[in-house]
Amino acid sequence: MKFDVSYTIDALPRLLEGALVTLQVALIGFCLSVTLATCLTVLRNARPSLFLECGLGLFVSFIRGTPLLVQIFLIYYVLPVVGIDIGPLTAGILAITLNSCAFVLEILRGGLAAVPQGQLEAARALGLSTFAQWRKVILPQVFITSIPPLVNEFTQVLKSTPLLATITVVELMRVSQQIFSRNYHPVEVLLGAFTLYFLMCFTVSRASVFLERRYEPRRA
Amino acid sequence: MGLDFSIFVDHGPTILSGFWLTIKIVLGALIIGLPLGVVLAFARRSEQWVLRWPAVAFIELFRNTPFMIQVFLIYYVLPFYGLRLPADMVGVLALAAFGSAYYAEVIRAGINAIPEGQFDSAYALGLSNWQVMRLVVLPQTLTIVLPPLGNQTLSLVKESAILSTITVQEMTMTALRVQGVTFRPFEAFIMIALLYWALNEMIAAGLRSYERRLTGRRTNRANTPPLDTPGVPLMAGR
Repeated sequence: MKFDVSYTIDALPRLLEGALVTLQVALIGFCLSVTLATCLTVLRNARPSLFLECGLGLFVSFIRGTPLLVQIFLIYYVLPVVGIDIGPLTAGILAITLNSCAFVLEILRGGLAAVPQGQLEAARALGLSTFAQWRKVILPQVFITSIPPLVNEFTQVLKSTPLLATITVVELMRVSQQIFSRNYHPVEVLLGAFTLYFLMCFTVSRASVFLERRYEPRRA
Repeated sequence: MGLDFSIFVDHGPTILSGFWLTIKIVLGALIIGLPLGVVLAFARRSEQWVLRWPAVAFIELFRNTPFMIQVFLIYYVLPFYGLRLPADMVGVLALAAFGSAYYAEVIRAGINAIPEGQFDSAYALGLSNWQVMRLVVLPQTLTIVLPPLGNQTLSLVKESAILSTITVQEMTMTALRVQGVTFRPFEAFIMIALLYWALNEMIAAGLRSYERRLTGRRTNRANTPPLDTPGVPLMAGR
């Protein structure tokens, strides 16, 4: 067999469609996980409770201690057994959201520790409501200092999307599997997908520098 | 639905055989990947572009693509060039290649963290390049990079689950098989989740105690730089 680049080119339109799904899934999962993690971070700091702390600790430890693939299988195969019937796409996004949430929680915890105590005291002294303290003073600073790890987290989410191919979500990985199972040229097709993944991840990881520069002047 | 405990008893041995293979695969990847990572780290620091350039390409390619597509690509490329290996071997090689890219970055960050003055004074003493590395730089680097290297190894344990997609009979694959036979997904997957969790917590506990010993011995913490700086993600994967 010889390497024939025409198979890559033929597959490209469908691969690009798959890449679009991959990007969508990653974006949705990441946005949901950041929202969820932000809410939980505010909650654990505004109303500290032992119960929540233990729960979150256990959650983070479990997510970080087990493979995402196993978490995906747990959600995809177990939820229907207990009567919750969601499609593979929803199950996949749910798994990615929960997984990424654990990592974002840790990132935000670090970002929060970097906010000087004086900022909180000043905000309180100004008589801001709890909501305004978080919304206007603390969270903006947390997010600006967390830009590099958050961007890194997004590339991690992007790189974890091919796992959804195992539960039949038709994203880039699944599309390339479908194509080469028909034309028997896995190397050419997979190389196309590989290139697309690289372009996406590399662009995103370089965006960190850009975002940091964009938000730098606002830093106190 | 209640838990069916007989599954744990009946299919426990199958799962444990997968657990053992998972450990063997990760150890194999560690043994191949770590030296490769050291070589890549030095190649990337080299002033010769012939060495530096391929190392940069290798590291960036492996760090910026999903592990699953790397596995598939290696699995299909090797036979393409006439090299037929069993799936287990392909899995070890893929995991080693993937891990080495991250190991290389950790080691490079560790070497970069050594103050410039250490190099200067070592050269001023008349040591050769090799002596500087062996006697001055590497001993200091080792204590800095061991914790993040451990973290990378921990994520290799998790990434090894992906090898089930190329039919390697490791733990996740055995759980899929048990699920296929018993139609009880919860029991099958929770069993391996707990095993992975226990294994990772054990490695993590070892790392933590090592780090505590390190900070206890060393009063000057200014020497140990933060390794979770951007660009050096502590965790390679999920």
